[in-house]
Amino acid sequence: MSAPVLTIENLHVTMGPQEILHGIDLTVAEGAIVAVLGSNGVGKTTLMRAVSGVYRASRGGIAFRGQPIANLPAHRIVKLGLSQAPEGRQIFSNMSVRENLVLGGGDVGLGELDRMLDMFPVLRERLRQNAGSLSGGEQQMLCIARALMRRPALLLLDEPSLGLAPMVVAQIFNLVQRIRDEGVSILLVEQNARAALRVADHAAVMEDGRIVLAGPAAQLRDDPRIAEAYLGGHTH
Amino acid sequence: MIDPYYLQQLAIGLSLGMTYALMAIGFTLIFGVLNVVNFAHGEVYTLGAFAGLVLISATAPPVFAVIFAALAIGALAGFSLERVAFKPFRRFTDEASLKSRAMRESTLLSSLAVSIVVREALEIVFGSQMRSVPFEYLINTPVRVGPVILVTGDFIIFGVAAAMLAGLQYLLTRTRIGLSIRAVSNNPLGAKYVGIDTDRTIIMTFVVGSMMGAAAGILTGLYYGAIFPAMGFVPGIKAFVAMVMGGLSSIPGAVICALILGISESMATTFVSSGWSDMVAYGFLILTLIFFPNGLFGARRERV
Repeated sequence: MSAPVLTIENLHVTMGPQEILHGIDLTVAEGAIVAVLGSNGVGKTTLMRAVSGVYRASRGGIAFRGQPIANLPAHRIVKLGLSQAPEGRQIFSNMSVRENLVLGGGDVGLGELDRMLDMFPVLRERLRQNAGSLSGGEQQMLCIARALMRRPALLLLDEPSLGLAPMVVAQIFNLVQRIRDEGVSILLVEQNARAALRVADHAAVMEDGRIVLAGPAAQLRDDPRIAEAYLGGHTH
Repeated sequence: MIDPYYLQQLAIGLSLGMTYALMAIGFTLIFGVLNVVNFAHGEVYTLGAFAGLVLISATAPPVFAVIFAALAIGALAGFSLERVAFKPFRRFTDEASLKSRAMRESTLLSSLAVSIVVREALEIVFGSQMRSVPFEYLINTPVRVGPVILVTGDFIIFGVAAAMLAGLQYLLTRTRIGLSIRAVSNNPLGAKYVGIDTDRTIIMTFVVGSMMGAAAGILTGLYYGAIFPAMGFVPGIKAFVAMVMGGLSSIPGAVICALILGISESMATTFVSSGWSDMVAYGFLILTLIFFPNGLFGARRERV
């Protein structure tokens, strides 16, 4: 396995009086897709926000390509090459699709614009339209394209399938693989374990602010505990 | 044929409305981004006027230098205002807390406090009486346009207001800082994810908005020829009314409503004594709040 892009060690995150993450350890290898699975409210989004610098880490370390980034301001982390397509998409709904992409490029500029519009042709047709007028799937694509505008080394994807029709979900996960094939490592958070395990190399299962199970995705796909909890067994 | 008297009142009303508009633009810009009312905006206007006056008394510079001084003081005032009255209450920068009621109410009071302190400080330093602008700096040379008599200041204020609106439009749609301002206004959390320094963007919003307020102050000072510490109060209220009528976060809406306000006030003096003309603004405010709670141009338009 090549050098890790992202190393998370013993990460604790506290919100007010409550500790949400109780010591997370996770590594994303260069060129890998790592999936974090778990049901609602186990702290997956908190983990993603802490990595992006939106939430503060109360303890533990996060290193991106060897450089410590825990508690750097979010805008500096983005500039290092770590982008996120966040939960809820957080696109600029009152602004045009093009303006969203321009903002995504930031000081890197529009070098990626054409490549993004080739990868997401639907955005090319809607370039002048308000982002808020796009369908859910289109908004998710815009959100991912916006994050890729800076040519990041690592892309964080928080619930890209949420609220989308199965056909659109398949389309999004195909794109996820394509993005990895173009050299971007991916940390993926999903409730849709089946879809996530299909594309991931490694996976970790979170429960109540901890990672309870981790390993190669192929192995987890066959793990009876996963099958029962997330792949159509009875839910708890 | 319209009675020239009404044309004259219309012209006076338009230029009055333009001075309100200059004020309202900065007011609305700041509201659009932070969803807070900046009650110190009137004092920024006063500071701009005094900056110009001090420079005039000290060195008798050309007019553009006077405007430049007002803009510089406006920028400084905007920066300091944000740091003193707004930043301390912005402990979290997610959208919910950035636009929360607690944030709104505490900064409403802190900006009001700053406005009182600034006004009193100006009174201590300069005295509370009106100071007149030296004759050669006044922009009230009469210009005859058909049956109507205007003054140079009417054209200057109209020109500056139009230029500021166009400049702001350019800034907000074509420049990186303008796009960032709109992004923070639209979705502060999303802004963080694309690498925007939200703190810096908020400061820039205050700087731009306050420069416009300060420019309005010095222009109005040169137009009416009187500068005094409480001069920002009434225009501040009028700009606030224009902003509410315009739908709170629509800059074009605020400008149109400022013009409506100015024209209505000047027309009203035909029927009631001029002392009552302020009632027009308050009347409009009440009517707007009752019948158009989203403002005349609210809801449909983009913020900022």
